[in-house]
Amino acid sequence: MFDFAFDTFSDAMIMQSQNGQSHGPYVWLVVAIVFVTIAATFLIYKYKIKKISLKIK
Amino acid sequence: MIKKFIHQFASPKTYLYQVSRAYPYILFVSLFIYIFSIFWGLFLTPEDFVQGNSYRIIYLHVPASFISQSLYAGMAFASVIFLVWKVKLSAYLIKSIAPIGAITTFIALVSGSIWGIPTWGTWWAWDARIVSTLILFIMYLGLISLHDSFTNYDKADKFLAILVLVGSVNIPIIKMSVEWWSTLHQSASITITEKPAIDPSMLYPLFGSIIGFTGIVICLVILSSKLQILIREKNKSWVKDYV
Repeated sequence: MFDFAFDTFSDAMIMQSQNGQSHGPYVWLVVAIVFVTIAATFLIYKYKIKKISLKIK
Repeated sequence: MIKKFIHQFASPKTYLYQVSRAYPYILFVSLFIYIFSIFWGLFLTPEDFVQGNSYRIIYLHVPASFISQSLYAGMAFASVIFLVWKVKLSAYLIKSIAPIGAITTFIALVSGSIWGIPTWGTWWAWDARIVSTLILFIMYLGLISLHDSFTNYDKADKFLAILVLVGSVNIPIIKMSVEWWSTLHQSASITITEKPAIDPSMLYPLFGSIIGFTGIVICLVILSSKLQILIREKNKSWVKDYV
């Protein structure tokens, strides 16, 4: 169950499937979008809370 | 008696102190579960026989899609509580959940579109599941704009709660769209009543990513609701003590 699906780091980046297509760019693009969106949302809310807290003080 | 119980435990002050205490623990555990499950799904699961490696997007797309609908269901539940028992915190939660719902629906739509390129040969199709999810995204944006357009918070909260309940008809449509119509989008691989149509080696990291992402989104809702409470209760003395 815990065998690596790819032999090298470059294989993991490219993610070539048995049909010859490289699916890595699609997968990594989605990973980047999800993590950037979530991180940005956290930062924006933290900033807004800090701003209103200073105003209240 | 129920009313008294709800009002006692759902006061913005009690809520804010309780969730602020729980927030770091939920965030730490959820991030650990989510990152571990994503790593497991991306590197330790075998390639899919039909979709190749593009299926690995499932570990990011499905949690976002599941949460986007669950958040709306949560808003509908909060709307009922607000309209029946006039619990202020419910109104704050409805307003707080809407932007987080819009963000998760955005992630579900974008990740689905990118997944569509290698599997369907197109990033967009006027398919029942995709269109009903797009409607959900537009509904979230509409609810945020509607609330912001009011100057009177009481009126805004009431209108928002009613509109959320009206719009909740879209949730079963999204869920059942792949069963009711012939769609490009595949049917659900996991249902409550049937055995999952997905191999356990791929299923376990999927469950992990759903649990982890749910926790992360709960943390975002906590932050969003904290902001909403600070804005709406800024003149109360306990808020000054809190900050």
